[in-house]
Amino acid sequence: MALCPVCESKSPSFEALGVHFAEETKKSDVGHVMWLNRNVTKDKEAEPELPRLLEGFFDIDGIGLSRWIKTRFIERFFGKRPHPFVLALQHPTKPVLLGYVLEHQHFLKQWVRSLSWVLAKTDSPEATREELDNITTEFYGHGSDQPSHYELLLRMGESFGLKREDILATPPLPATARAIETWQSIGRTRHWVETMAAMHSLELIANRDVKRDGATLTYFDPRILEGGAVTNETRAFLWEGYEADVEHSEVPLEMVERFAGQLGIIEDVQFTFLRSMEAFDSYLMARLERGMQFDGGLAAFIGGGA
Amino acid sequence: MKPPTAGCALCGATWGDDWEEVDGSRLFFCCEVCAKQYRGIVGEAKRRKGWAAVDKVEMQGDFRGRVCTVRYGPETNKFLISFFEDGELRTFAELG
Repeated sequence: MALCPVCESKSPSFEALGVHFAEETKKSDVGHVMWLNRNVTKDKEAEPELPRLLEGFFDIDGIGLSRWIKTRFIERFFGKRPHPFVLALQHPTKPVLLGYVLEHQHFLKQWVRSLSWVLAKTDSPEATREELDNITTEFYGHGSDQPSHYELLLRMGESFGLKREDILATPPLPATARAIETWQSIGRTRHWVETMAAMHSLELIANRDVKRDGATLTYFDPRILEGGAVTNETRAFLWEGYEADVEHSEVPLEMVERFAGQLGIIEDVQFTFLRSMEAFDSYLMARLERGMQFDGGLAAFIGGGA
Repeated sequence: MKPPTAGCALCGATWGDDWEEVDGSRLFFCCEVCAKQYRGIVGEAKRRKGWAAVDKVEMQGDFRGRVCTVRYGPETNKFLISFFEDGELRTFAELG
């Protein structure tokens, strides 16, 4: 069975899914055309090859679901055309980090809501423990010695002269709000294993091991954590993610792979992961767009693609 | 207005079959959202500069954002523009 990544229609084979895509593109259907353009090819001449190309895109044989997610994620954010926010974060300026703070506070609140959907729906003690631990690290903290990621983010903003009350009073940009709606919808409507995949795959963004798996660069140049290139609060915030996100992404994704296989919902997980990845791509752009409110020169990071 | 050489006038894709008239030129688009975005680019350039028409649109970038150089007679307008997936304007920034 092959699941359409756009309309979720089921096809008996990739041959049939290729025919489905060909029919939809002849109608200039926005969703199907856009998906092919971004993920497979912009070239209509490739139509006879669509079944093979689609099967290659979704194939997990020999690598497993977890590594497939990692591969697709690395391709999108750390591949030949790295995401503009990742480029901007290599050696971040104050406006880049201000954009990070003002938008990410909203992401982290949604993070708790999304993982709470998992908690509300799962009957797995293993998944419950994983999500409780993650929420604690990200939002509640482990006492004064280990503040939460959310607290470290706010302190980073304060280190640039922003008042905490002003940070908290800043509403999300429309793009961030749209992405949050997507994640909330995923939590509300999809299986909890799909929600786990949708959210924990996003922690691959700060996984320092991505270069080992084919990334051309990491989330930021780790050398900025040395010396005085960034404020102490920035170093504390980035270091926390650098330390935590290997475990925070890989352990739950291994769990997702196991549960998805047992429940027979691998294609559904792939569908929801791809939807979440699109939302995340757009959300990262929102961080840069917020940064552009402080420095219009950040526009130079956007528009360099083909 | 001088049309692009091949593929969708916005993204270059050759899927789809959406032909629309923009500023007197009949152009090919892969989907209606690309057409809407292209009209947005031309419309923003004309509105912000007070131009009656546009002669040529050159673009670099992708769905995350496009640097557009729009020409009308001897005048040029360069800007960064991006759109939401439904074709609504998302970002516009004048570039020097």
